[in-house]
This record gives sequence, C-alpha cells and structure tokens, in this order.
Amino acid sequence: MRRIIIALLVLIVSSMFPGCGGVFFRQWPQPSEHLPVSHELDSVPFYPQEAYQCGPASLSMVLTWSGIQANPETITPEVFTPSRKGSLQSAMIGAARRHGRLAYLITGPDSMFEEVAAGHPVIVLQNLGLSWYPVWHYAVVVGYDLHKGTVILHSGVTPRKRLSFRVFYNTWARSDYWGLLVLPPSRLPAMVTKHNYISAVLGLEKARKWRAATEGYNTALARWPDSLSAHMGLGNSYYALGDLESAEAAFREAARRFPTDGMAYNNLAQVLWAQGKQQDALEAACRAVDLGGPLVEEYRRTLKEIQAGKP
Amino acid sequence: MIRRVAKPVSILLTICMLLLSLPHKSAFAGMIGTETVLDATRSQEARDYLNRTLAREDVRASLIAQGIDPLEAKARVDSLSDAEAVSLADQLEELPAGGSALGILVGAILIVFIVLLITDILGYTDVFPFVKKHSEVKKDSDNK
Repeated sequence: MRRIIIALLVLIVSSMFPGCGGVFFRQWPQPSEHLPVSHELDSVPFYPQEAYQCGPASLSMVLTWSGIQANPETITPEVFTPSRKGSLQSAMIGAARRHGRLAYLITGPDSMFEEVAAGHPVIVLQNLGLSWYPVWHYAVVVGYDLHKGTVILHSGVTPRKRLSFRVFYNTWARSDYWGLLVLPPSRLPAMVTKHNYISAVLGLEKARKWRAATEGYNTALARWPDSLSAHMGLGNSYYALGDLESAEAAFREAARRFPTDGMAYNNLAQVLWAQGKQQDALEAACRAVDLGGPLVEEYRRTLKEIQAGKP
Repeated sequence: MIRRVAKPVSILLTICMLLLSLPHKSAFAGMIGTETVLDATRSQEARDYLNRTLAREDVRASLIAQGIDPLEAKARVDSLSDAEAVSLADQLEELPAGGSALGILVGAILIVFIVLLITDILGYTDVFPFVKKHSEVKKDSDNK
C-alpha cells in the first residue's frame, strides 16, 4: 500500500513539475496571450565563432544587442575557455557584469520562450556530444516557432540555424537547461523574481559598476517599491559613486519605509557624516543603535566613530 | 596550451567566486553592504509574499472552491522552513502575469498542501499534528 502511494506521489509531482521526474516527454509550450505562436529577433548580430570560441562569440552577440560595443576579439581574453564548463559559465556571467550588463539566469526551459517573446535573446549551453563524452557549446536563441516545433539559433558558424524542439531539448537538457540573459540594467526579464533580479543588480555592485547598479536598483524599485534591499543597494551605489545627496535621499526613503530596521539609519548616518552634517548623523546613528537587531555592533561602531569626530 | 592556462585560471576563478560568496564585509567601512541586507530580508520577504498571496480574495475563493480552508492552507505554508518558503515564493512569483496565472498559483499552493499531507501520512514528515502516525488513518487526500 505504501509503495503504491509513493509511486502515485512521484507520478503526480513529476507530472506537475515538468523536468523533475523525466518520466514524461517534455511538451513544448502552448501559445497564449503572452506567448505568440512564433517570434524572431532581428536585432541580434551574428559573429561566427573561431575554434573553441563559442562562449566569446555568443556573449559578443548578446552584449552588442544590449548596446555594448563588443566582438569576439575583445571578449575572448575576458572569457577563458577551460575544459570544465563550470568556470566558463561563471566567467560568462562575470564578463557580462564587467560591461555593466545584468547577468540573469533563466529558471527552467519554458522561461526561454517567454524571454524571446519579450525580445530578449538567450544564451544557452548545449551538450552536442554524449553524456560520457560531452562537447559543450554556447549558442544564442533568437527565435522559435511553436507550430513548426523549431528553435532558431545563432550557433557556431551558422546564423539563424533552425533546430527541432526534440534535438534542441535533448542537447540543452544535459546542461540542466542553463540559459543566460544579458540585459541593460533598465530592463526586467519577462520571467523575473524580486530576489533574483536584485541579486543580479548586486552582481553589478560587486563588479564595481556603480552607475549601472543605480540604474538596476531603480528598475527594481519601479517594480518592487517595497524592497529594502533595493533601497539600500541604491544608496550604497550612489555612495560608492560619491553622489552623497542621492545616497542620502535613498537611505531616507528606506528609513521612511522601514522605520523599525536599523540598517537604513546606520547607512544614512554614514552618508550624513560624510557630508559634514554632524548633528543629523549623530541622531541617525543613535536611532540605529536603539533599534538594535543582529547588526547592532556595526551600528555602535558607526556611532562611536561619529562621536569621536573622525574625518 | 589552453589546458595549461586553464587550470590556474579555473583555480583563480573559483577563489574569486568563493570570495564573492563570503559574508559580507562591505566594500566601505561602516556601511551595511547590500548583500547583507539581501540575505537578512530574504526569508521574511518570502513569507510576507506568501501571506499576501493567501490573503488575496481570488486565491481564497479558489482554495475554498477546491475544498480547502484558507486558514489551514496558511497554517501549512507557515510550517515551511525558511528555505522551503523562499523556494515556494520564488516559484509563485515567477509566473507570468495574467488570468491563467491564478490557476497555476493556486495549483502550486495546493501541491505543497497535498504533498505535505501525504508525506505526513506516510510518516516521512511530521508537519500536521492532526495526522496520526499509523496506517488506519482515513486518507481523505486520495479523493482530491
């Protein structure tokens, strides 16, 4: 009895989450109000790849589409080609960020269609070989046709190469449907979550692309005005840029929305202090310490520094 | 030649990625870094999102139509761990906006409900106090 229930459970769950159990053949999506029957992007340039350079070629195509001057010669040194796919995937993400572009991983194969329908090319990682002898290959999806059952790719030395869904899914499945969006920070992916988007913008901060980060956080705030992380990120990025006025405004807004959280007050105190507004800085720092929380030691340190009048 | 370069580069990249993932010294002294904020707020924001979703009139109506008490659904969602709450919120949040999304949204909540109920009955989890841990318990979920 128990075994029957378990089998039933597995069947139900794996059929409701496609890709989970692999028991059923993957169906391609049905057209709907936000997913037209077919769509093709005209504005993605094609760069033929040299040997082993599918990564730089793919990244160049999408970077150029996103408004950055890039070609495989300039990108290749930024994206090394080691034998293990792992480091290369993170190198692609890192290189995108260094050019001030958001690197956003898609979650699941169906997202790919939504993104292309929204006008975003998707870099995909395929295994063109065998599971025990992989031949990893990056290509750029620039279109699809749900009626014909094809995907259109800039791949290798072939622009607008048409591949049947079955072959495409088979080769793509082996990378666990790895897909990367490279977007200007003014854009949101079609299928987006607050956390993943803000993490992507955080990636720009870490790459020290402060200006792009401010754009990204503003984009996030337009969609999720209640995100403390986005407000704090905006303030931190302005601070890093040296734009103290805008940083102050961002932290004041964060403090207004989240009056019980010390983090906004702490950073506000720092920014006020950096502008020489000693009294206001002291007030904000005290407020942070009063609010307490797990970061209270940081707040105390800030307060001490301001009280000591250190420059 | 590439293979000779590849190994030290891979190691360098791995170290860089590890450094990026360490908690969380801000680049600027005294400032709370954005990553710290993101981590601190993530699970609470996920729970807030789930609670808001369950409080929606259309979601409540769908749950009731399926024979589920919204309060029970809330209790089950509250019982999720931080990681599970974050995972569920992410899945729900990512659905494309539109009318049909409601059906998928409620479906996802239902699945959590059903799965937790079944695994509880099987004895793999112990989420619901009303589930007795022996095989004579009436399996209402089979009728759903």
